[in-house]
Amino acid sequence: MIRLHHVPQARSFRILWLMEEMELEFEVRERSFFDKSLRAPEYLQLSPAGRVPALEIDGRVIFESGAITEYLCEREGRFGRSPTEPARVDWLEWLHFGETIGQHLANLTQHHIALREPWMRSETVMRLEAKRLEKALAVVEAGLGAHDWLLAGGFSAVDCVVGYSALLSRRFVRFDDLPRVAGWLARCEARPAYQRAANRDGAPQIYREDFYEPPGG
Amino acid sequence: MIRLHHVPFSRSFRVLWMLTEMGLEFEIAAYGIRDGSLRSEAFRAISPAGRVPALEIDGQALFESGAILEYLCETRPEAGLGRAPGAPDRARYLELMSFAETQAALIEQLNMAHVFLRDPAQASPVVTKLNTRRLAVTLATLESRVGAAYLLDTGFSAADVMLGFNLFSAPYFVPLDGYPALSAYRARLEARPAYVAARARDGLQDFYDRDFYPVPEVAP
Repeated sequence: MIRLHHVPQARSFRILWLMEEMELEFEVRERSFFDKSLRAPEYLQLSPAGRVPALEIDGRVIFESGAITEYLCEREGRFGRSPTEPARVDWLEWLHFGETIGQHLANLTQHHIALREPWMRSETVMRLEAKRLEKALAVVEAGLGAHDWLLAGGFSAVDCVVGYSALLSRRFVRFDDLPRVAGWLARCEARPAYQRAANRDGAPQIYREDFYEPPGG
Repeated sequence: MIRLHHVPFSRSFRVLWMLTEMGLEFEIAAYGIRDGSLRSEAFRAISPAGRVPALEIDGQALFESGAILEYLCETRPEAGLGRAPGAPDRARYLELMSFAETQAALIEQLNMAHVFLRDPAQASPVVTKLNTRRLAVTLATLESRVGAAYLLDTGFSAADVMLGFNLFSAPYFVPLDGYPALSAYRARLEARPAYVAARARDGLQDFYDRDFYPVPEVAP
């Protein structure tokens, strides 16, 4: 049995969504950032840095969403681009760039949500990270060009990886100048597999506001 | 001609080192983080996010160090530095490649707090303390996993380049003394002829102005 260790709204959603796209059977083990479940010794056995996602599959455990994405695409022969295909380069770039965007989101999440007292935050970093996130999304806007999905050849796993980051970005950045990204996200959300994944995501624990305004702006 | 767009001591060193391990000929276009050169139109055409590394190779321009290393391994399999789809340690290899960026992102945050903010008082001491602790956790994770020689039992790979690079920046924030296996591993990396040759071409970093940046005091 495939088992995904997952925190609602976290990066592990990428894998939840991708496995729904692949129509795999799997179970979801929900964990939380706000109790000790990621620090439990039994979990650290699975995911040594105490992070989600971790995926139990084929008698092993894999952590890091980018690594799991590549592994699943190679295992299933779907939604990836193999090293012999010309689109491989773009696929790899998006896969890794999805995490570059993800890091800005992680920093914004830490500042806006994890730090409860205003004195703990750095307003400079909050403004800076929102700007950097906006710039990263402008790269997606340009990269989408006229096609429906990130790769001209059609939907692939990088739509799940970057799409998750972009969907979350709507809580930190205004999308007025990102019409193509907005249209692409609407297409993502309309996918039956996305909707099945959203139904299995679990109750929101991290993001309770629709929009987190950068300080002073 | 292969051309690497590079900032000394930044992530682009991974690619510089990798190309050297592969014995490829290449030229370097050097940039500075603070001199605005990364914002030029010419560079934006090569690297859409205006970040290094970018690599011009095989008639195209690539960005993202992880993507570039994977591409190099796949298009030059004779170097033996990747682990191809289906290889027994493929999953572990991919995991380490990604984990390297998880760790590098923490270093990047600490760089910002200690070095790149114009006024260090703009940083949050709480966040700096937290990120320092998180960096230490990632180092401890590696300490328990690094093998007798390299990260994978099957020998030196791109994962060592991707992750090994971090071990030269991390000590500015977390001393490596507490991690004997990692320290020995780092020494093995430093002894590699390709590493030595790559450092000789790296150029001088101009952002760290001391050897160690301690965690600031936290108070409301």
